[in-house]
Amino acid sequence: MSCIRSIVAVSFLASIGVSTAVTAQEMISDTTARKQPLTTWGVQFEEFEYRYSDDDEELGVWNADAFYGTDDFKVRLLTTGEYEIEEQAYETLENQLVGQIPISKFFDAKAGVRFDTPEGPDRTYAVLGVAGLAPQWFEIDANLYVSKDGDTSAELDAEYELLFTNYWILAATLDASVAFSEDEEIGVGKGLVSTETGLRLSYDLIDRAFSPYVGVVHERKYGDSADLAEADGGGTEDWFAVIGARIAF
Amino acid sequence: MYDNYYEPEEISVKPGETVRFVVENKGNLVHEFNVGTPDMHEAHQEEMMMMVEHGVIQGGKLNHDMMNMDMGNGHSMKHDDPNSVLLEPGQSKEVVWKFSDKGNIEFACNVPGHYQAGMYGEVNFE
Amino acid sequence: MKPRFLTGLLSLLMPAMVLAGEYDLTVDRVKIDTGDFVKEGIGYNGASPGPVMRFKEGENVRINVTNNLDEMTSIHWHGLILPFNQDGVPGISFPGIKPGETFTYEFPIQQAGTYWFHSHSGFQEPDGAYGAIVIEPEKREPFRYDREYVVQLTDKHPHSGDRIMRNLKMIPDYYNREQQTVGEFFSDASKNGLMNTIRDRMAWGDMRMMKADVEDLQGFTGLINGKGPEQNWTGLFEPGERIRLRFINSSAMTYFDIRITGLDMTVVQADGNNVQPVNVDEFRIGVAESYDVIVHPKDEQAYTIFAESMGRSGYARATLAPEEGMEAAVPQLRDPARLTMADMSGMPGMDHGNMAGMDHGDMDMNSSEGMSGMDHSNMEGMDHGSMAMGKGGQSDPFYAKGSGLVPTAANGGKFLSYADLKAQDPLYEDREPTREIELRLTGNMERYTWSINGVKYEDADPIRLKYGERVRFKFVNETMMTHPMHLHGMWSILDVGADQWNPIKHTVSVQPGTTVYMETEVDEPGQWAFHCHLSYHAAAGMFRKVIVEGGPESTQAKTDVIAKDGGEV
Repeated sequence: MSCIRSIVAVSFLASIGVSTAVTAQEMISDTTARKQPLTTWGVQFEEFEYRYSDDDEELGVWNADAFYGTDDFKVRLLTTGEYEIEEQAYETLENQLVGQIPISKFFDAKAGVRFDTPEGPDRTYAVLGVAGLAPQWFEIDANLYVSKDGDTSAELDAEYELLFTNYWILAATLDASVAFSEDEEIGVGKGLVSTETGLRLSYDLIDRAFSPYVGVVHERKYGDSADLAEADGGGTEDWFAVIGARIAF
Repeated sequence: MYDNYYEPEEISVKPGETVRFVVENKGNLVHEFNVGTPDMHEAHQEEMMMMVEHGVIQGGKLNHDMMNMDMGNGHSMKHDDPNSVLLEPGQSKEVVWKFSDKGNIEFACNVPGHYQAGMYGEVNFE
Repeated sequence: MKPRFLTGLLSLLMPAMVLAGEYDLTVDRVKIDTGDFVKEGIGYNGASPGPVMRFKEGENVRINVTNNLDEMTSIHWHGLILPFNQDGVPGISFPGIKPGETFTYEFPIQQAGTYWFHSHSGFQEPDGAYGAIVIEPEKREPFRYDREYVVQLTDKHPHSGDRIMRNLKMIPDYYNREQQTVGEFFSDASKNGLMNTIRDRMAWGDMRMMKADVEDLQGFTGLINGKGPEQNWTGLFEPGERIRLRFINSSAMTYFDIRITGLDMTVVQADGNNVQPVNVDEFRIGVAESYDVIVHPKDEQAYTIFAESMGRSGYARATLAPEEGMEAAVPQLRDPARLTMADMSGMPGMDHGNMAGMDHGDMDMNSSEGMSGMDHSNMEGMDHGSMAMGKGGQSDPFYAKGSGLVPTAANGGKFLSYADLKAQDPLYEDREPTREIELRLTGNMERYTWSINGVKYEDADPIRLKYGERVRFKFVNETMMTHPMHLHGMWSILDVGADQWNPIKHTVSVQPGTTVYMETEVDEPGQWAFHCHLSYHAAAGMFRKVIVEGGPESTQAKTDVIAKDGGEV
């Protein structure tokens, strides 16, 4: 059906093409880039840092995302990792690939997959989330995960920036994760699993492309997850001093 | 007078000569023909500014009712000094002026902006 | 006096000749040195800005444009009335000029005044592809001057246009370094009270709007005729001379407030058209606008031309001096501008009486809710800090009442308003418009999307006008930014309430929270661009194609075809 229609259209164009050859230039339709959706991309490392804990643990940590797409649809790769420097092992390594569409003026919906491939057992999840800007300038990223085995969990990230000056910026972050079912193998108990709160003072050295910072990060495990960690011989609470840089390009 | 210039832009007089100017506004805007020194023109420009602010001069028209209105202190905005005329487009009037001594004399239009834009002419003494 | 004599001589000779001028322009990669930084850019005949093109009214011009770039290019003759296929907008007027190709523009010059030209391809214009046009009138000018200078401004940024667009899309406040800080919170609190300040910040935070959203693109160096503040472009004069300064704002994004300390300026042209002269101390030049002023320096001294950006993040500076090397003091930048709630009043769904309980779902810019029912009366208590910006009851009918953007002259004197602009010699008879078209200027700063009536160019149908009608355009600015709207090919008769004396322009600035009307005599057939002249707003979608259907008898048949087939596919 659609095929027939397009043939008709072509023959119509051909028939008028002869009589209007003189004005061919005037008949142009806009096929320039301006008439196409603007495609753009970006890469940002919200965190790219070295962490030193109160019990001498050393970590290399990153939290980054890259996107490509238009206002209406973007593909986004999110990657987070914690690399234990002494043990030469990934404590966490999460990679998400999601599609993202706007759902309101300030919020986008995301759907995709997440692969966790740290030291130890791997996990694959389906991801459904929303991300955007809440009133009073809170950057929000909330996600729901369902693992292959049906374990569900949720994660909320919030960030607030306080401008001491237009270059000295204090960023407060809170990440919290909740599990709706237990996944003992990876140390996750039902209920509130863990929180990570951070304060980072940065200075925009090169535009917003390179902003070194120092800060403190507090990690804590709760409830069954804390018990699982203790049973495994690990701690449930850590304080870190961090030094790193926010990077965008 | 045209918008916004005179033709001619320069005249020559002899000291003591009396000159009858026939002034015709061939433009689309209200214009003035005023004989005086640059200082006098500058002072007069403030009065003219007031006339515009009070709606006496409206582009191509004069509000004659407003001109006769008493502004207090015995002042009005009649614009009836002997050294000048204020003309609507198409109007024509005469100014008779005796140039007594040599001096820095110009004829000028003091409708706001017009003088600054270049609507003035030089009086050269022979 | 001398130039006029020469002109008189020429005009005596002119009737005997058929005027035809041939001009050559090359589009080149060039080096741009602002004094602050050096960058690669695009220019004409080997330099940015390009040459001043001098035409004569009544002349037929042929301009050979050779593209020495490795990408497509184009030249748009900004403000010129010409056949649409010479207008130079790729995809609307013509396909563009391919690398290595020479395209010959050919059109009659039917006007006089100060205009400019620039590339309409990609971000070549912000990258440096612009120049000035000066057209000498057939008849004498309605003002006098002994000397003239083009004073062409731009906001030269170290980043390329593509990079800037991408950064703005990634982080919309990437270039905004005038944001409110903790320090400003405390200074506001001591001025207006702690609770008022908290309430104020909460109200803005609730909208997720920034008072500091005046300039999207900061970090530029203001250039005048290609020279940065340190390089100090200098125009020479002899004391007592009258100088005509042809100000052109060729910035990508920046409005400038211009003053010359110690000199009155008499505005005699706006957008190339003569206006009834207005004496001012300072004026604001929107992006893509031009203003011609006459100054009359009497003293043997230097004068600084100071062009402060509207948001006060940067400036351009030049000098008028009796001798090369002389300079005058350069003023300090004034405090950054802050928007007020009045500037937000155009936003749909905004009931200011009840900010806290506002339903955010209704804030979607695409909602068709109008501006009616907006209650400003409760705003007063909300924004004391910024209310003070409109010092001493300064007002301008072209700004929202209580707007933080209302300009004031640095010396407390007269600041030009659109309301002061009256045509010197109206081009068109005044008549009732045949219809009204409402164009809501819409956008979303956090996504850096800009649109008209909530629709971006990529998704929009063209605006169809009929030859011979007089259309009244109603611009409703529902965003917090100022948009210089530029209709190609036909004059914009700006409604300043002066009826037959309304001035004609090519670019009309619409301030946030305001409604501005302009009328257009649809007297040019073909298809035309109509857009916000802020480069990154236009690229983000605040752009339309206008199709004029029909035409004068002789070209009727031709334009019928255009009307049928010229639209978007």
